[in-house]
Amino acid sequence: MSLRLAASAVFRREFQLFARRKSDWANPLMFFVIVCSLFPFAVGSETERLRGIGVGVIFVGALLAALLTLPRLFDEDARDGSLDLLLNSNEPLAMLVLARVAALSIGIGAPLILATPLFSLLYALPSDVALVLALAVALAVPTLLLVGAIAAALLVTARGGAILTAVLVLPLTIPTLIFGAGAASKVLYGESPFAELSLQAAYLLFALALSPLAASAALKISTD
Amino acid sequence: MARTEQQSNDRFQGRWFWRYASPAAFYPVAGRIEKIGWFLAITLAIIGLYIGFFRAPTDAQQGEVYRVIYIHVPAAWMAMIIYLAMAFWSATGLVLGTRLSFMMSHALAPTGAIMAVIALWTGALWGRPTWGTYWVWDARLTSTLILFFLYVGYMALAASFDDKKKGDRASALIALVGAVNVPIIYFSVNWWNTLHQGSSVRPGSSSMASIMLTAMLIMTFAFWAYCVAAAMHRLRTQIIERESGAQWVKELVK
Repeated sequence: MSLRLAASAVFRREFQLFARRKSDWANPLMFFVIVCSLFPFAVGSETERLRGIGVGVIFVGALLAALLTLPRLFDEDARDGSLDLLLNSNEPLAMLVLARVAALSIGIGAPLILATPLFSLLYALPSDVALVLALAVALAVPTLLLVGAIAAALLVTARGGAILTAVLVLPLTIPTLIFGAGAASKVLYGESPFAELSLQAAYLLFALALSPLAASAALKISTD
Repeated sequence: MARTEQQSNDRFQGRWFWRYASPAAFYPVAGRIEKIGWFLAITLAIIGLYIGFFRAPTDAQQGEVYRVIYIHVPAAWMAMIIYLAMAFWSATGLVLGTRLSFMMSHALAPTGAIMAVIALWTGALWGRPTWGTYWVWDARLTSTLILFFLYVGYMALAASFDDKKKGDRASALIALVGAVNVPIIYFSVNWWNTLHQGSSVRPGSSSMASIMLTAMLIMTFAFWAYCVAAAMHRLRTQIIERESGAQWVKELVK
């Protein structure tokens, strides 16, 4: 079996799972919706205040929602044995991991990205801010999942995986958080978000190049 | 296992320092380094603090408060240097498979985390009278805080495996991932800081009197020696703990 076949098989399998088990993508979305709805209760509902925190709340909410899906990457497969098939494949493991992260990015990311403009309205953000924020979330979710794949792979067999994944991954998402939220804030103050978005995209490409290799090394360590 | 050890012995024959990749061989050496480290740390700290507290003049702008830099700056430097050292030994361990390298990383991590905490704590104590607040989201403070998070993550990961070997390699990998990301995080935090607030008061902006600099450098070497000594002490404890099945350890603790 060629690499392309193997990668597309992994990719297709993820989407079949998404189609058949809708909770896989619906639950992160619901989490995102609820987190974003909680903040006005805590800080008050004045328009000015909501506009001030909106970008940050929506962005962090989307990151946390994506973070919660990380155990889905390998945990279940480790239990039902399909991870061993992946590990024993002749094709480079890094590419298969990449195919899986790509599928998860689309399956989890698309609902979050589509929900972002909606919440931008609820937080009284102008529509051009909403658009840039959605774009920033679209760049941030794959970055988080790529970096997170390393931690998820390491913790497949470890104790207390989920919470430790958050501790390991969240500090590493600071660059994409700074640039993504910065881009949307720039638009809010009437400036161009191009520099921040470029840097965010650069960090995504950096993660794209290195994370699959690190994650496949991590899988080999943890399933050794 | 015995065969591979034999092979590697053949391969590295004639290079005396490879011998010290063995925990049993390095254990007494670590003890000697630890003793030298304690001696240097205490001597240099006494000299450095004496110059810093009694010889160096009071700062024209900040008064006596500035003297915390003799603790603060060396601790901040060590927090960064130790992370690099930790990543270096992690990489060495992953490439060469030497278990002493992993133990060295584990021994360094708590000291690095303590240094980050000291830097943050003394920074807060200095910031209160100088800036009027314990904490500002200054780029350097924030970076040190994130560095502390990375240390905590490393230690938590190492502790979450029952299989020590697996924990060694897993935490080594995360140390390398962190080391690759640290420059990016520093850069982005600096960027963010300039975006959101003007540059804060920088203690180093005024040129420093040379006697202050001397005291700070002596204190840096004292901290360095302390970190070496503390790491060696922890390394020795780890060697004893992990090699507890070995004959030489049984004879040592008898």
